[in-house]
Amino acid sequence: MVRVIVNGKEVHVPEGETILAALKKAGDAVPTLCFFGHMYREASCRMCLVELSNGKLVPACAYPVSDGLEVRTDTPRVREARRTVVEFILSIHRIRCWSCPRKGGHCELLKLATAYWVEGIPVCSSCPLYGKDCLVVKGEPCLGPVTLAGCGDPCPSNGSPCIGCRGPVTRRDVLEAAAQFYVSNGVELRDVLEVTSMFWEGLPNYNALKASLEEAFRKALGGGAD
Amino acid sequence: MAQLLKLVPKEATPGTLAHDVAVKYGRERRHLIRMLQEIQSTYGYLPQEALRVIANELKVPLTEVLTVATFYHQFRLEKPGEFIVMLCMGTACHLRGNAANYEFLRTYLGIKPGKSTTDDGVFSVEKARCFGCCSLAPVVMVVSRDGSYRRLYGGVTPAKLRRIVAEHRAKLAKKR
Amino acid sequence: MSRCCGKCWHSLEYPCRNYIRCRTEGPLCHDDQRCRELRSGRARYIKEGPNGYRIKVPLASCSIAAGAKEVLSAVKEVVNSLGIPSDAVKTVGCTGLCYLDPWLELKAPGMPAALYGNVKPAEVEGILKKYFIENDVSGAYAISERTGKAKGEGDVPTLSELDVWRLQVRYVSRNCGVINPESIEDYVAYGGYRGLDRALRMSPEEVIEEVKKSGLRGRGGAGFPTWLKWRICRNQPSKEKYVIVNADEGDPGAFMNRLLAESDPHRVLEGLIIAGYAVGATKGFIFVRAEKPLMAERLQKAVEDARKHGILGRNILGRGFDFDVEVILSAGAFVCGEETALIAAIEGRATPRQRPPYPAVVGLWGKPTVINNVETLAHVATLMAEGWESFAAYGTERSKGTKMFCVTGAVRRTGAYEVPIGTTLRTLVERIAGGVKEGRKLKAVQIGGPSGGCVPAHLLDTPIDYESLRDAGAIMGSGGIVVMDDTACMVDVARYFTSFIVAESCGKCFPCRIGTKILYDTLTRITEGKGTLEDLEILESVGRVVRDASLCALGGTAPNPVLSTLRHFRDEYLAHIIDKKCPAGVCTKLLKYRIDPGKCVGCGTCAKHCPAGAISKDEGTGKYVIDQEKCVKCGTCVTICPVNAVMKEV
Repeated sequence: MVRVIVNGKEVHVPEGETILAALKKAGDAVPTLCFFGHMYREASCRMCLVELSNGKLVPACAYPVSDGLEVRTDTPRVREARRTVVEFILSIHRIRCWSCPRKGGHCELLKLATAYWVEGIPVCSSCPLYGKDCLVVKGEPCLGPVTLAGCGDPCPSNGSPCIGCRGPVTRRDVLEAAAQFYVSNGVELRDVLEVTSMFWEGLPNYNALKASLEEAFRKALGGGAD
Repeated sequence: MAQLLKLVPKEATPGTLAHDVAVKYGRERRHLIRMLQEIQSTYGYLPQEALRVIANELKVPLTEVLTVATFYHQFRLEKPGEFIVMLCMGTACHLRGNAANYEFLRTYLGIKPGKSTTDDGVFSVEKARCFGCCSLAPVVMVVSRDGSYRRLYGGVTPAKLRRIVAEHRAKLAKKR
Repeated sequence: MSRCCGKCWHSLEYPCRNYIRCRTEGPLCHDDQRCRELRSGRARYIKEGPNGYRIKVPLASCSIAAGAKEVLSAVKEVVNSLGIPSDAVKTVGCTGLCYLDPWLELKAPGMPAALYGNVKPAEVEGILKKYFIENDVSGAYAISERTGKAKGEGDVPTLSELDVWRLQVRYVSRNCGVINPESIEDYVAYGGYRGLDRALRMSPEEVIEEVKKSGLRGRGGAGFPTWLKWRICRNQPSKEKYVIVNADEGDPGAFMNRLLAESDPHRVLEGLIIAGYAVGATKGFIFVRAEKPLMAERLQKAVEDARKHGILGRNILGRGFDFDVEVILSAGAFVCGEETALIAAIEGRATPRQRPPYPAVVGLWGKPTVINNVETLAHVATLMAEGWESFAAYGTERSKGTKMFCVTGAVRRTGAYEVPIGTTLRTLVERIAGGVKEGRKLKAVQIGGPSGGCVPAHLLDTPIDYESLRDAGAIMGSGGIVVMDDTACMVDVARYFTSFIVAESCGKCFPCRIGTKILYDTLTRITEGKGTLEDLEILESVGRVVRDASLCALGGTAPNPVLSTLRHFRDEYLAHIIDKKCPAGVCTKLLKYRIDPGKCVGCGTCAKHCPAGAISKDEGTGKYVIDQEKCVKCGTCVTICPVNAVMKEV
């Protein structure tokens, strides 16, 4: 058995194990994306990074333990690294939450984006889970597709259209896809804009946001690109 | 089986060559890069048919073969021209103007955007990593598709490129 | 390399232990005056040529590209008519004084050896006549010594008087440009394979101890103590082990390994065999990149010749040590410089893997594997022959020995130079390589390739060692040094290196695959005048994460060019962002292009090739003019104009 110090706590794990096993023993979890037990342990997603006492960041899922190894799971550098990795992933991720099979709380990326304050993923994820009908499909200007996720979406899951109090998604590609969704369900731009004026009008980037929404709707109506 | 193929006076297709190469290396997955190198040394690139046969022989999905074929620079997936002009993209060559030479050559040869070969199939223009002849920067190497000819030029300018192109067009005319 | 008489019994089946020593000191197994004279006569012939006549012509990639083959033909044509025996002509490797390519070295008995630089084939006859017939060395670049007997000696410096030679310590490069690299006999005549001979008389542990005492650190860039890597591998219980030479040399701007392998391949091979003996491996690999074909050919020939003479194969030199070598051509990927990626390439895959475990423990096909750089192994062969003290006599406290550096870019004397570690950058760049050209100012020195950083001119007195360079924001790397003068734009340089990394990223981990692209896109925006101050923050924060979170050293060092130029040349970034100007006049999108009517000849080539149709003829003057509104600033007109009439304005 090897002695590992996790965030100041001492645990013992068998020799040959990885840091991840020690973290589990200590009860300090780290997010993992690409780790699949014995099937896949390539350490390529870099979400499980922990900081060693010499300052190096190493992946917990692949780094072997040694006696006296000290690891920290929540230092500023580790947090910055994890946050940036989530940003990287989301920068290439096509966000279509309203039609994604993983919605309703099964989305790892949503959990990570919420935990690390990375913008991008919208609210649209739980109405079907609670057996509620999608209000956009009914023609209502629910702001789910263009609002930042992370509040647990209590309003739409209780039948009340989202009014965007958590703040807007500003990514152009998400707005364009959301506009397509609205247009194909007969929801009009001016109705959406009216709802956004409730919480977003005071924001410094509101004009730019309005312009982006207008552009997005223009594209969607003109049979524009996806 | 391979001997039988030799007795029959038939042109080897990429597929049959790929089969022979796979057999030569015992169909072992670890020799994949060597197999691809042999196929490329014959055709100057990796024909789709050959890749499919290799994947079959090694019993791996085609995507796995493509992973390797698209990652390494040496491999081409499209038929190159008779002569391939490779411009070195090393640091010294970059500082001495090979980036401009590259743009010039493409424009001069009329190569369309998104392609790397002239429409008449005579020249291909490619970027190469570094030949290690930095004292002669900027450097250009011209090779023939079948690999039998290679010539390195140093101190390359647009004027020199014009001469190199003319020289090789003449070589081709003589061969034909 | 053959037996001197019937009394010698060496053969591949029954190898003689003293085979190597016998070539130069022999015969050893019997005493015969005639045999001794045969041996020493042969050694003299190899070293001095027939009756002391020698014409050396270099045949290495760079000299061939500069026209050495044509010079060789010219030499062969006139040699007999001048009464010089044709076997006086010897093809050798490259000395590293690449700015002289192609060169000739002439030697006649009684005359000092003379070196002639930048020789044209048409000049060959004249040069040979002057030296051999008229005994006149004037016009030579340098001579070997002053004898007082040749004409014109007073005007020509000796090599030892020239900084470019005097300040070097040619420890591993001693044979480069001296011996014929395709002849194993040459190598042995000049003392080759003595290191192997001595190593095989010691135990493997003693060999490791010798390397430890020398203090040799890996010359590939990381600087890991070589003896430690060997010992870790040796201590692994596996019966199957491998040693690999990393001859990939992917750093653009570095060609020391190519030079060593093309000019003295047996030295590298000798180091590999010694390494195999020390760790207990039976198979070695030489991993060469396909883009350097002559290097691969010369190494292959060395392997075949070594096998023929029993230096590779079974029972090497009768010591019961079996070892063989295979040359593998890499398919071209920069990441293969990384140990686990190199192993993956040999295994037919494409990506590196997380370390630990390190290759010395779990490597090729899961077996303990040692990977060493070409130059490291060349040092091993040399220090085993001469003793560890010969190596440790140079260098600093923490880094012993010498290192080869390639100095290229905006210097007067580009080439490969070997100096003791600890030599300052100033000595290397200004005194040995001659500094920047007339009228230009030194701006920065880039070290370590795409994984390295830029050292600004005011830090030129930094000594070249692993720690000092790291503190200055660069890395030692494999030894490629690119000198930049005021015609280089540091933002463009950062973008160039980042584009290289983006293309070479294997794609396995997020930080490198995506983060480097973000760095590249941001830098591109800045060079096009579309950058903002926020972009500088993006570069720094993304750069930090790519550095800390990447899986392998390719991603880990990828942000170095950006971060080091941001640190030392922030004003250039600000000029691009705030003033929308490129002070060095490099970034094409920030330049204005104008046709000088004084130079324009009205040929219309520029207009024909302008992709935006922005150039038209002024019917009044007959000259061509660029419409600034339509111009897309691609720069094609600048490069395509036959009379250089298009000017760039900052």
